[in-house]
Amino acid sequence: MLTIRHLKLNLNIWAVLSFIFILLVILPNLNIVLNVFNEPNENWNHIKEYLLKDYLVNSVILITFTGFFTIIIGTSLAWMISIYDFPLRAFFKWGLVLPLAIPPYIAAYTYQGLLNYTGVIQTFLRNSLNISVQQKYFDVMSPEGAIFIFTMFLFPYVYIITKSFLEKQSAALIENARVLGRNSFEIFLYVVLPVSRAAIVGGVSLVILEVLNDYGVVKYFGIPTFSTAIFKTWFAMGDLDSAVKLSAILMCLVFSLLMLEKFLRGRKKFSYTTAKYSPISRIKLEGIKGKLAFGYCLMIFSLGFLIPTLQLVHWAFLTYQSILSIRLLGLILNSLLVALFSSSVIVIIAIIIANNCRINENLLSKIYSKVTVIGYSIPGAVIAIGVIVFFVNFDKQLFWFYKMLNPNSSKLVLSTSIVMLIFAYTIRFLAIGYNSIEAGFEKIGTKFHEASRTLGMSVTRTFFKVDLQMLKPAILGGFLLVFVDILKELPLTLILRPFNFNTLATKSFEYANDEMIHEAAISSLIIILISAISIYYFYKVGDKED
Amino acid sequence: MYVQIKGLNFKYKNSKEKILKDFTIEIEKGEIISILGESGSGKSTVLRLISGLEVPSSGLIRINDRVIVDNNTFVLPEKRGIGMVFQDYALFPHLTAAQNIKFGLKKLTKKDKNKRLQEVLNLVNLEDFKDRYPYELSGGQQQRVALARALAPSPSLLLLDEPFSNLDADLQCKIREDLRKIIKQTGITSIFVTHDREDSKAIADRVVILKEGQIVRVGKPKDILD
Repeated sequence: MLTIRHLKLNLNIWAVLSFIFILLVILPNLNIVLNVFNEPNENWNHIKEYLLKDYLVNSVILITFTGFFTIIIGTSLAWMISIYDFPLRAFFKWGLVLPLAIPPYIAAYTYQGLLNYTGVIQTFLRNSLNISVQQKYFDVMSPEGAIFIFTMFLFPYVYIITKSFLEKQSAALIENARVLGRNSFEIFLYVVLPVSRAAIVGGVSLVILEVLNDYGVVKYFGIPTFSTAIFKTWFAMGDLDSAVKLSAILMCLVFSLLMLEKFLRGRKKFSYTTAKYSPISRIKLEGIKGKLAFGYCLMIFSLGFLIPTLQLVHWAFLTYQSILSIRLLGLILNSLLVALFSSSVIVIIAIIIANNCRINENLLSKIYSKVTVIGYSIPGAVIAIGVIVFFVNFDKQLFWFYKMLNPNSSKLVLSTSIVMLIFAYTIRFLAIGYNSIEAGFEKIGTKFHEASRTLGMSVTRTFFKVDLQMLKPAILGGFLLVFVDILKELPLTLILRPFNFNTLATKSFEYANDEMIHEAAISSLIIILISAISIYYFYKVGDKED
Repeated sequence: MYVQIKGLNFKYKNSKEKILKDFTIEIEKGEIISILGESGSGKSTVLRLISGLEVPSSGLIRINDRVIVDNNTFVLPEKRGIGMVFQDYALFPHLTAAQNIKFGLKKLTKKDKNKRLQEVLNLVNLEDFKDRYPYELSGGQQQRVALARALAPSPSLLLLDEPFSNLDADLQCKIREDLRKIIKQTGITSIFVTHDREDSKAIADRVVILKEGQIVRVGKPKDILD
């Protein structure tokens, strides 16, 4: 029963703004669904006949193996770090998150440069040891190589989620199993893996979404997948209809995976119990065992962070004279400004929607929060196509208006501007900001809000005087995460940037694609540095406060 | 009658079970009412309905001849002028005790705000602690700040949700007395909910016993609790 009384409670500026934002998120994606049923053209028949199967097979191979290996590496590390004590454990605890600071496409060309015929390793073997190796063992530009790259640079998703789950949830279980006489390996297999299933599935589905979103690695390695195919049909063939069809199929794949995730997680959501948890008392590994644990962590850390970073630093020294220039400054400025502005927009929208969901608890606001999160599962190339169609239509509708302002106006105004890119970032990364802010709201609960209401403050005044003040850490956290993601983002930026607009990410990728890997080093290092600092802030400083 | 509550019903959207059934009571000005019941009896819901944090499915609430909710009316919580002390006090952690107390005084001038602050600080005997943050105060002090904050805007009605549940048992006796004294001193009409018969005995003028959403008995503490 919706009465005037309920309306009075629910209809306010927060509800209205949320509705508008949600509509803007949905519309471009709706375009894809609507255009799927357009008459297929010749291109599409060709794609369907000869190429589609390859795209599908390659994508499935990449996500299956990457998923498998990230589970093994991520959970084993999470297990070791939470339950054992060994040399440098405290360092590895957050150091093993650092591979996330290196975007996979940067890792891809760094490893290629490292391992190819003229790379450091082969040169050393050839010149100093007089060994020449079979090239096929050093060929990283293959599906196996791509799986290696994805695994080494995405496993932290599984590691982080599983580790925090183990730390918070299972101390009692593990200690019980120990008392019951099980050894560590048995506990890992029969207790830890089953109880942390939901956490592992959550982590690995993030990995898989990242793999499907990737454009840089597969393009550089020449592996045909959906995202490269969408790019090719749109850029090389100018065939929007087929690009939309490919996007739709990719979206179906994503949604089936999300259903699978839901199914695998079962009814368990990994909600942290609010009760105080007692930390696990860690087992000290002595002698050879301690060295093995240390060695394993060091190996993963080296492959996932140390080696590529050192290689990039080396290249940076080779090229800094030609690269350090006003143009680089321009790139940095472009990247920072666009990321700063977009992150601010995203955080503000996320706050509005999250606050609306909190104060107006109804079906509509539940749908809002679901829609908000969906953007992150849609691969960048798909969002890009949806956004282009949306903006081109928009420009057509507004042409009369442009002409009124400027008689010589071109037909496409918004769709050739940076607005389109920022809009697409917002759809894709809204989920990240939203999750952080929603968690913040959940942490402060509703009682302070209610207390303020009974003291005579309206919803909006309460928001500024109470909620916002208490939410500051969550807002900062969400902002940082989104900022770093935008800084690293590649596919959306490549498709939607205005003519001649470059960011650190696109420029690095262009250099690498033009066989100028060494020149890509400095802009790559800047991205890695900024990401690493944010990650440090997040997982080291944030951890201490707990 | 100063407060009139008639036929108040409430259920959550997704449940069929009514949390509160036909809750009806009239309260005189200056009276202290205690709603006594076990957890799940719906006693906190009564306070949330009176303060406007929930919307009843039917029923009427009138305070001082002003209807604040019935089938056509709903006054927003911030417009009701009802003070509430929350179960765990909900003191704003980013504000000092004094800032917390002044929070509800937005309409006053700065001078009047400080004057009112002094008055209520005096009342709850906390002058020396006004610049402390909530986490620097003991449980009993926090409770008094919460009380002062609720009283500062001179509400027409004071609601207290389990005011003693967060305090040590050996403190409760003294704090009960203090609380009754402060409330009587201001002469404010109050409703407090509790699960502890001793609380009701010590403070209330009249007790309402609530069981599974229904009023079982109403009367003076010494008549129905002894």
